[in-house]
Amino acid sequence: MTRPVASSKRSTRLVRIIGVVAVVSLAATVWLGLWVTPPDKTQGQLVRLVYIHPPIAWVALYLAFGTAALGSVLWLWPRTRSRFWDRLAASAMEVGVVFTALTLVTGAIWGRPTWGVWWAWDARLTSTALLLVLQLGYLALRRVPGDADARARRCAVGAVIAGVDVPIVHFSVDWWKTLHQGATVLNPDLTPTIHGIMAWTLLLGFVALTLVFVWMLMVRYRIQVLSEVLEGAELEMALHERWAEGAPPDGHGATDAGPVAVVDEETPAQVGSRARGEQPAELVP
Amino acid sequence: MSYINAGYSIALTVLSAYAGQLWWRRRRLERLAARVDPDANR
Repeated sequence: MTRPVASSKRSTRLVRIIGVVAVVSLAATVWLGLWVTPPDKTQGQLVRLVYIHPPIAWVALYLAFGTAALGSVLWLWPRTRSRFWDRLAASAMEVGVVFTALTLVTGAIWGRPTWGVWWAWDARLTSTALLLVLQLGYLALRRVPGDADARARRCAVGAVIAGVDVPIVHFSVDWWKTLHQGATVLNPDLTPTIHGIMAWTLLLGFVALTLVFVWMLMVRYRIQVLSEVLEGAELEMALHERWAEGAPPDGHGATDAGPVAVVDEETPAQVGSRARGEQPAELVP
Repeated sequence: MSYINAGYSIALTVLSAYAGQLWWRRRRLERLAARVDPDANR
């Protein structure tokens, strides 16, 4: 029987600590953002949305997609190929979808009173929406049944191709005349145009959302490991049940030692299929 | 203020819901894994 990868007490404790710190820092960001910081001279009260929108976008664009792209490249690279990178990429992409969707929603909520519209076909907005579509496409690709290695390869290639959109999103405000303003903190001169308590609140927002992402990624990775192990165990049990059902009445194959008689009758193609984790065609209902 | 409240409410609700779903999914799978192999989570 395949043994599930047990989570160590240390990693469980680390996940808990990160979770608690993330919740506390996020609560502090909300408190500072809503009640402590002053209104902005130009934006007025709407500046309060800036304490959550850019940090969410930072996680969506750079952390989540960056992790997924890095994991995909390291999976494709033969010298670093490991199941870890594929799981990491899949986990980061799913978490990234949530953050990208939130980036678009919080941006639209800020844009409506500021620009007068919920949505504009602006380069930054459009390229971010395209990123969400690409991320959803990646998740759909992961659900296509088949051999685990082939699935990992095609998803990794998809993530690398989708990664081309990330620099487009980042530089869109410089390459085209857009409604979306340029970078406030990570501008080309690296001179932040925000200061005082507002800057510290924004910085805390970045830290808080980064910690939230790390917590989600760790939990999602564990889910990925458990799902794969259970999938393998389920298939193994189903095969044993079918072998037991198909055993001849004289007792061959249904012994404690396993379905010897039936396994002996397998063709080389069937053995290869089983080794790759595929369900034999005759067992498909 | 309604836009600000809406922005914070949606962001925090979605993040909390997804975090809760992740936690629930992990717990369910941990239990299933423990049923398959009782030594899995020792």
